[in-house]
Amino acid sequence: MENKKIMIDYKHRQAGHCESGATSNLFNFHGIEMSEPMAFGIGNGLYFSYIPFLKLQYAPMLSFRNLPNTVFHRSMKYLGVDATVIKNFKEPNESMAALDRNLEKGIPTGMQVGVFNLTFFPPEYRMHYNMHNIVAFGKEDNDYWVSDTVMELPQRISHEDLQRVRWAKGAFAPKGKMYWINNVKKELDIKSAVEKGIKKTVYEMIKIPFPLIGVKGIHWLAKDLKKWPKKHGNETASFYLGQIIRMSEDFGTGGAGFRYIYGAFLKEAGEKFNNPELLEASVMMGNAANRWREFTYLGARNCKNRSKPEEDYGKLSEMLHEIADMEKAVYVKLDKIKI
Amino acid sequence: MEKEANPVYKNQAYGQFRELFYSYGADGKFEKNVGFHGESTRVTLQQAWDLFNDRIEEARQKVKAGLASPILYYMEKTLVTPLDLSMHTGIMVWRVKRHLKPKVFKRLNEKTLKRYAEVFNTTLEQLKNVD
Repeated sequence: MENKKIMIDYKHRQAGHCESGATSNLFNFHGIEMSEPMAFGIGNGLYFSYIPFLKLQYAPMLSFRNLPNTVFHRSMKYLGVDATVIKNFKEPNESMAALDRNLEKGIPTGMQVGVFNLTFFPPEYRMHYNMHNIVAFGKEDNDYWVSDTVMELPQRISHEDLQRVRWAKGAFAPKGKMYWINNVKKELDIKSAVEKGIKKTVYEMIKIPFPLIGVKGIHWLAKDLKKWPKKHGNETASFYLGQIIRMSEDFGTGGAGFRYIYGAFLKEAGEKFNNPELLEASVMMGNAANRWREFTYLGARNCKNRSKPEEDYGKLSEMLHEIADMEKAVYVKLDKIKI
Repeated sequence: MEKEANPVYKNQAYGQFRELFYSYGADGKFEKNVGFHGESTRVTLQQAWDLFNDRIEEARQKVKAGLASPILYYMEKTLVTPLDLSMHTGIMVWRVKRHLKPKVFKRLNEKTLKRYAEVFNTTLEQLKNVD
């Protein structure tokens, strides 16, 4: 039984964001052509939250993306696809047995994993980050074949290692979470899904009445950023700034915290439905994303020379305020658009 | 994004992977490119690893001097705080903090040690001796 080889014909495509990449690849497997930005946009990947009172790797926690499994769950919901999500298992063995059963049935299965012990992952990224997603599509001897969209090629991982990363502990512990698509209807109503997706993203970015989420969160971060050098000293301030930049650059988003992917989604949707307003919004988003990139570029100079900042923190803070206003203009515009 | 791997990291194994990047050009096109990550990522990642490595080295010196238990070294090596470690092992925070003292560590029973060893992914022998 151990030596049986299973290999599902699953096409691995590299992507910028792990979960929307996995979602778009799963759609592709079921015969629906869907690009990564499309999955990201429909599934509300875009987000911003800043949580100064929680520390992640010794620096304030912030996130440019939504909670784990949002992209998959929401895109399935909005498109009306029959999919299964098992949120958690009681026992590690049980979760691995469930994965084996799925593979035997020929279903590629997505899983949430932590990256700290992920053996094939680039070593410079191996920190405690439990919101990564990979798709298992094959089994050979004691090893599994998985598709990790950050990597160029499919990877091989042993049973023990896979179990360890699926049961990584800490904040947002995966607890063996797995998900897969059961079957897809021939005709999907992409138009209404796009509309719902945009509406939800606009809500999350400007309408939540809480100051640390969305555009308000960016303003709050800008205010705090100005105070860091006086409050914590230059070394720590540059480390905290480094955390912002690491988060906005994490896993190959092009240094703008997923804003490029969202802009690409707006453009694709605008071209698909012939909507000039969406195209305009995509240009605005692209400009905001380029501004984010300038911010990370300037900020990184402070991280290079840690005790003597080259750039003024006040200037960086103003830049963040400006970015927040630019983004807000996009969401206000999107709010009024009827597709 | 860059076409060639840039040997800027102190650790040679770093920065050897190609990732996919999105970008936005002046002509209004969103592009996808595959390449190595750019300078700002490298600078900030190196900064983070510098801090982590300093903390690990400091902890090692402390353990060797007999000022702290090996748990401190392995805790820093896995990049966690006592609070995280308490969540990972299921041992209460104040107990974890107490176990950082060498005197208390010596009296720990095998069951507790095994819990730590499992989280740190080491054997009991390795847990007791820091190289």
